[in-house]
Amino acid sequence: MSPARTRLVAGATLSVGVLLLSACSGTSDAPSGSRDAINYALPANFTPNWILPIGTAAHLNTNNSSISDTLWEPLIAYDGSTGKIGWNKKGSIATAADFADDGKSVRVTLGDRHWSDGKPITSRDVEFWFNLIKANKTKWAGYNPGKKPDNWTSFKAEDDRRFTLTFDRAYNSDWMLANELSDITPLPQHVWGKTSDSAAVSDADRSPAGAKKIWTYLNNSAKRIGSYASNPLWKTISGPYGVKSFSTAGKVVLAANKKYDGKEKPQISTVNLLPFTTADAEKNALRSGTVDYGYIEATDLDQKEQFTAQGYEVKPWSGWAITYMPYNFNNPQMGAVFKQLYARQAVQRSIDQENLAKVIYNGTAVPGYGPVPQGQKSDFLSPEQAKNPYPFSTSAARSLLTEHGWTEKGGVMTCTKPGDGPSECGAGVDKGTKFQMQVLSQSGSTVTDNMMSAIQSSLAKTGIKFDIKTAPVNSVLSQTPQCTAKQDICKWQLSYFGTAGSWYFSAFPTGDSLFQTKGGSNFGNYSNPSVDKLISRSTTSSSNAPIREYSAALAEDLPVVWLPEPVYQVSVVKEGLGGFSQDSLANFHPAQWKWTD
Amino acid sequence: MSAVLRTAAPAAEAISPHRLSVRRFARNKLAVGGLAVVVLFLLFCFVGPLVWPTDQTHTDLTQVNLPPGGAHPLGTDAVGHDELGRLMFGGKVSLLVGLAAGILATVVGTLWGAVAGYAGGWVDAVMMRIVDAGIAIPALFILLVVSAITTPGPLGLIVILGLVSWLVPSRLVRAETLTLKSRDYVLTLRAIGGTHGRAIGRHILPNSVSTIVVAATFQVADAILLVAYVSYLGLGVQPPATDWGGMLSAGLTAAYSERWWLIVPAGLAIILVVCAFNAIGDGLRDAFDVRGRA
Repeated sequence: MSPARTRLVAGATLSVGVLLLSACSGTSDAPSGSRDAINYALPANFTPNWILPIGTAAHLNTNNSSISDTLWEPLIAYDGSTGKIGWNKKGSIATAADFADDGKSVRVTLGDRHWSDGKPITSRDVEFWFNLIKANKTKWAGYNPGKKPDNWTSFKAEDDRRFTLTFDRAYNSDWMLANELSDITPLPQHVWGKTSDSAAVSDADRSPAGAKKIWTYLNNSAKRIGSYASNPLWKTISGPYGVKSFSTAGKVVLAANKKYDGKEKPQISTVNLLPFTTADAEKNALRSGTVDYGYIEATDLDQKEQFTAQGYEVKPWSGWAITYMPYNFNNPQMGAVFKQLYARQAVQRSIDQENLAKVIYNGTAVPGYGPVPQGQKSDFLSPEQAKNPYPFSTSAARSLLTEHGWTEKGGVMTCTKPGDGPSECGAGVDKGTKFQMQVLSQSGSTVTDNMMSAIQSSLAKTGIKFDIKTAPVNSVLSQTPQCTAKQDICKWQLSYFGTAGSWYFSAFPTGDSLFQTKGGSNFGNYSNPSVDKLISRSTTSSSNAPIREYSAALAEDLPVVWLPEPVYQVSVVKEGLGGFSQDSLANFHPAQWKWTD
Repeated sequence: MSAVLRTAAPAAEAISPHRLSVRRFARNKLAVGGLAVVVLFLLFCFVGPLVWPTDQTHTDLTQVNLPPGGAHPLGTDAVGHDELGRLMFGGKVSLLVGLAAGILATVVGTLWGAVAGYAGGWVDAVMMRIVDAGIAIPALFILLVVSAITTPGPLGLIVILGLVSWLVPSRLVRAETLTLKSRDYVLTLRAIGGTHGRAIGRHILPNSVSTIVVAATFQVADAILLVAYVSYLGLGVQPPATDWGGMLSAGLTAAYSERWWLIVPAGLAIILVVCAFNAIGDGLRDAFDVRGRA
């Protein structure tokens, strides 16, 4: 065969190969079947990249925290792993939390527990976490100005197993337990309390300067993903599993911690967490039987019978979450436009959530019009949010823009009447500004791609140009941080990381870190003093009225683009794997998994 | 007898090498078939939308995943685009990017190879080591890295693909130049004071045209495949634009849902066009091959 003819055949073969590429783009593993191991599929395009049980914005992901919670058990595991959102005492270090009658302090009792190196878990380990967070609060993703840790005024250890945390005022005890104390993780101070690999362990964390140095040391160590399985820091654990291997490509192998003395003992000795570049690659792995606990996309629900015939059960995993695209209010080009409520209304009115939920998500999503999840019934939802203050209408959206000084030129609305009068574009919007914005959207999901295409199409009808750029979810999170207009990183305009829901709440959906001014996860720098007050009231009041007011206020003020809330995932689980509930807070709990046959 | 000789001699002189090449190409059924396929696809993609106009900018969520029928001969996709129209729309990008990137790669490779081969010595050594180094890095790897950094439009894809694909033509042209530069007509030009540029431009490149043309057809085929790869991996042109690789990628989720119309047409289009360009290249190679002219 001539070289050219060889190329001819090779060309055809390669083209056909394109059809098969998905099978090559994921993880290849031996078929499962062993009762000593389980293969769990991580979300498409997500690679675990953080081991430290202290989240920072760039590493904020429920899967990272699920892994770290498996290694270092939380003080109070407040989640949905028991089938209902509440305190799972079996998976917690604390055994009791007694609030003072005045609601201004809590006395916590630790269980008789030990680290994997045999040393006891004490109040000092909790104080170590407390000191690190207090001194480095602005770098912590859970930080809320005025809330945790600002509202924790003192930590006082009574003895090795009891301590008291005092607050700056009285708080709703359920809210405090569910949304604040649940963030605390006892850390092995006797191993981690140092400022470098060679430094001696000390009480340096008790001074802010020392705590900052320890924070830097721990964070720098956590950035070396390749050393997770070998670094002695990560060997001293309190949870049911330890790291056996942790590849930079994303595959994590957890091995049962034989020294674990808690109540959620691991039932399966090895847990393989498998990364996939696309949902298709993961689906192919499911079909080949290499995954025991995986997922399919909503669009694949019509193939349910094929999976059940292969020995799987299909179980939608509903999440206590909201989904949205944050606006970057500090973006130099579009920030001034985003700050105009009418402009945000025009965007929101251009999004046909009902059809997106019904068609793109195959009926597995529900429209979301505000900051309270609408997938489950709750007492937190306001009537205003429930009824959708801005129903879909591109003609109404166009009117909103034309009534405020915008004229369509070449298919894109352009500001022709600058100024801050009622029929003008608004403060800071220059003449000639085009309503043209770009989203950095999570890649790896056909459903997300289709939703973005549909949104682009409907926004175009309003006269808003919407460009789509895609990147893996970790890149989206790291490229769309809080920023000021002068920073280079502030070029992002809209961000989407919600293929499986953007934000999973604690039991109380107060959203304090999301929408409070300077909140730790308020990526777009939204700021509204009246909303700040409502958030504060919702956490201190014993009634749910303030949170409903907050729900109504944000449904109307549109701090983000509200989008349909998908189920966390449509799980496909090997028959015989049971003993657990799918946590609506989107964490996975390997210690609860077991083979029942 | 002499009359026969008188009439036969002018007839033999009238067949120029070019005409002979055309005849040889025309006798190659596979190559002619390939040319016909390429022409048909060009007409389909660039003239087709005039005959079958569709809206490929806006989605229509009331018309998703419809099977082939009267209103939509190839059905609709997951966001309601007419699939036949999308095939034309995506084909424009695939063909345009493929052709332009192939031509760009050939132009860059030709100039690089001609200069390296003609200059010789250390210039040749340095230039060709650069080529060797470039060939050692898989083009797909470079494409994925670049695409992850930036969002390429059609123009960006042309430049990126062109700049990762010029290496092979440069080697071919260099080899041809090494042979041609020692020919008498080149040496004579240099002896009478002709410049290096003139030697390359007037003699070496025109005499390498057969090699260049054949290389160009393969480059186009390779570029179309590369576009398909990159788009398949979700890193190609962004919506509402698409290309055949992107269509294939979007349709693959339907592989088990019996929605063949989302996969087969785009897949077939890639296979047919790539095979067609390869067949043309094969035919051109045979047509220009002097060994077959005896």
